Amino acid sequence: MPAPLLEVNNLVVEFSTDAGVVRAVDDVSFSVAAGETVGLVGESGCGKTVTGLALLGLVPTPPGRLASGSIRLDGQELAGLDDSSWRSVRGRKVAMIFQEPMTALNPVFRIGNQMIDVLRQHQRITRRQARAAAIEMLAKVGIPAPDKRIQEYPHQLSGGMRQRVMIAMALSCSPRLLVADEPTTALDVTTQAQVLEQMVRLQQEFGMSMILITHDMGVVAQSCSKAMVMYSGRVVEQAPVTELFARPRHPYTGGLLASIPRIREQRIPELPVIEGTVPDPLNLPEGCRFADRCNKVRDYCRLAQPELKPIGRADSKVACYVPD
Amino acid sequence: MEVLLYSLRKLLAGIPLVLGVTLISFLLIVYFGPDKTYELVGKNPTAEQIAEVRSQLGYDRPFVTRYMEYLREIVTLDFGSSESTDEKVSSILARTIPVSLLLALPGFILGNALGVLLALVAAYFRGGLVDKLIMGSAAVGMSVSYLIAIIGFQILLSSADGLDLFPVRGWDTSTPLAYIQHVTVPTLATVFVALGYNTRFYRAVIVEEMTRDHVRTARAFGIPPAKIFYRNILKNSMVPIVTRVVFSIPLIVISGSLLLESYFGIPGIGKVSYDAIITGDQPVLKAVVALTAILFVVAQLLTDICYRLVDPRVSLGASTR
Amino acid sequence: MNAAAEAMQRRHGDSLWNKAWRKFRHDRVGVVALLVVCAYAIVALGVVLGWWATGWADISGPKWAPLSSEHWLGTNIIGQDIFSRAVYSTRTAFEVGLIVALGATFIGAVLGAIAGFFSATWIDEAVIWLMGVLDSVPFILLVAAIAYSLQDSPWAMHIAMIATFWIGTARLVRGEVIKLKGQEFVESAHAIGLGRMTIIFRHILPNTFHVLLVQATLSFVAAIKSEVILSFLGLGVKDGMSWGLMISESTFEVLAGYFNNFIAASVLMFGLVMAFNMFSDALQDALDPRTVK
Repeated sequence: MPAPLLEVNNLVVEFSTDAGVVRAVDDVSFSVAAGETVGLVGESGCGKTVTGLALLGLVPTPPGRLASGSIRLDGQELAGLDDSSWRSVRGRKVAMIFQEPMTALNPVFRIGNQMIDVLRQHQRITRRQARAAAIEMLAKVGIPAPDKRIQEYPHQLSGGMRQRVMIAMALSCSPRLLVADEPTTALDVTTQAQVLEQMVRLQQEFGMSMILITHDMGVVAQSCSKAMVMYSGRVVEQAPVTELFARPRHPYTGGLLASIPRIREQRIPELPVIEGTVPDPLNLPEGCRFADRCNKVRDYCRLAQPELKPIGRADSKVACYVPD
Repeated sequence: MEVLLYSLRKLLAGIPLVLGVTLISFLLIVYFGPDKTYELVGKNPTAEQIAEVRSQLGYDRPFVTRYMEYLREIVTLDFGSSESTDEKVSSILARTIPVSLLLALPGFILGNALGVLLALVAAYFRGGLVDKLIMGSAAVGMSVSYLIAIIGFQILLSSADGLDLFPVRGWDTSTPLAYIQHVTVPTLATVFVALGYNTRFYRAVIVEEMTRDHVRTARAFGIPPAKIFYRNILKNSMVPIVTRVVFSIPLIVISGSLLLESYFGIPGIGKVSYDAIITGDQPVLKAVVALTAILFVVAQLLTDICYRLVDPRVSLGASTR
Repeated sequence: MNAAAEAMQRRHGDSLWNKAWRKFRHDRVGVVALLVVCAYAIVALGVVLGWWATGWADISGPKWAPLSSEHWLGTNIIGQDIFSRAVYSTRTAFEVGLIVALGATFIGAVLGAIAGFFSATWIDEAVIWLMGVLDSVPFILLVAAIAYSLQDSPWAMHIAMIATFWIGTARLVRGEVIKLKGQEFVESAHAIGLGRMTIIFRHILPNTFHVLLVQATLSFVAAIKSEVILSFLGLGVKDGMSWGLMISESTFEVLAGYFNNFIAASVLMFGLVMAFNMFSDALQDALDPRTVK
């Protein structure tokens, strides 16, 4: 088995707040193989976005900081890089696209200029070449009349178009890894499907790896080969997508899957929801963090935190004392 | 062409504002102003004499007629002559406005330029010692009264107890050196007082722009800090900065220097307004208030046009924001 | 991060005010500033009750006496005790500050709330027009014009300050009210048939109280600072004594080398303004739900 493209080990990200230190990401480890798409799933605030930001050294500091752990990309250790070394990684080796296409682009510059900036930051090419490359990229992500669009300002484009521009920008320097943070959440439903499809197609065409951060299990099913479920800063389950959907091991994963509406199957009286709330990050329980919401909770679940351990024949791991 | 049409529309939209300001100044200064009859009639006047003077002053005419008369004066820029010196108001303005500009401009430019500069430094070191030092000094500067700053600098630089470098008061622009000598102390006081407010305001603007999503995007693509700073932060900060600068122009032209000029005895528009206040010189007061209001409307127009130059999202064709 | 903040809020399950108070208590600068303001307030109260500074107008000492046990800060040109005068002026400062802050905040709250509630109607337009008009008249000229038409009334200064300072408050309140009026509690108030004025003043306006509080502190400071300049120009305090009048007195003294008047008034005034500014800042921080340290 070849070495994975990205290997994250025991990553810890902390934020200091008025009331104390919050561990937004707590001892997270995972790997992404070349060309693979990994889904990172969880409710808002579970630490998935912070994990993504940490991969580009973008955790806002202060108040946040990468407290410990290692991030190895293609053999290079990224944790602890200084800012100028990070700059040669960002955009060129790892690119990121964000949830909010409306505000993610600089409103006072034409999109062409913003794309050309990125291209020329990482490649020794002339402005004219960069422009041609930008137009080509825009065409690839499905923007009609790219030579005209490139002259426009962000506010002249629709949300879907802007997100395509972001994707084009992200792919323009052929990064090895793309981190996509809820790339379709802010778009309307029909656009969502188109943009997602486009991303998967381009990811295969470029042969890059992708980490898709989402709260939507449907998106994971559609585009990922492997998925990680995060809860309260920790990975609670990690498995190939087919395995995860066929047999969710962690009660939380089971709950997430049950709460997806299934249109074609028989009608159910009420969509199941997971009762209760996420624990206070300043006041975490000693045992399993899901215990208070779990319908299978045992006394010993509250004593110590369960470790993420391999389970079953497939490449699955779960952090639960009573897995399914 | 587009700009011209837009400007015209904006000017039209400013008319209610000008009407309002002139109405207020008319009410306060002319209509409810002091009755001048008894200053003008002789001793032991007869009823006819009083009536004649009142009619000369227009007191017997209806409100609307008198207000229209006032508006006519503004439109034709013919405010009559000063009651105390008999000089034509238009010639007083022409004589004093340049003086006020020469007095106020250095402080205005320095106060804003230094304010932006300090704000940038503070924002860059946000949360650090340098930031705290700059913002602490700004808080101190904001707590010092303008008058105290003026007197303080005067003691320090112009008095026998201080360095005694500059003249105590007065105005002389006959040579560049004389100009510098006379403008330094007022400028220092102005900058001292304005700097705290400016720095605070500009820092808030810049910090807000620093936390925008597109700044994070630029960082995520490896754009170097200097470029992010210029293209993402500074360029987007320009709208509020320009607004603040342009809106303070009418103040420095007409009334910002009122204290400065009356303190230092500088013959600018502020001193003239002050004297008019003290002596109750109606024609001059009317002119000054009306002109400031009109300048404000023009300043609003200028900021709107500046918006267009800085921010492509603002369309001149669209209705007002 | 958001979830963390929400979780924190949920845990304590308390109101904006409890939270603000807790935050404020931890702000050392803010607490010290508040104590300083209170000390000044006690000094002012003592003057009102006749505990001290009763002899501020007595011409008891020699001209320009130096510091002594009898005249702690010396005397002025006609032999009045500068310390008593500076202390007495604290009362004037609070008088001017409180009257203007209350007046401006009250008018700003009422007009701002009405404009916000009736936004995009002619009522709103009229208030906006009034704000624009008053904003366009330079402050000192407005005071002068009001003083001029009130024939040197001692209230001309207060009225002029209120006429100018309410605008900032009204703008903010208007914005807040526009935000609030779409919320559920307002809709339900409509639904149970409450009158519009009841909704505005009993249900919406109390929710803007944090804005009003901060604005009142800002108006207070602005009033004290403006008093100095207006008194110097002869448009300010008419009877009694104030820091502004003391500083005006001092303008010719300082050139003759007598600084006591100037320093006494400047330092006392600086202390109060600075403390109030800091208090106002801390208050704003504490009441801002967005600030996360």
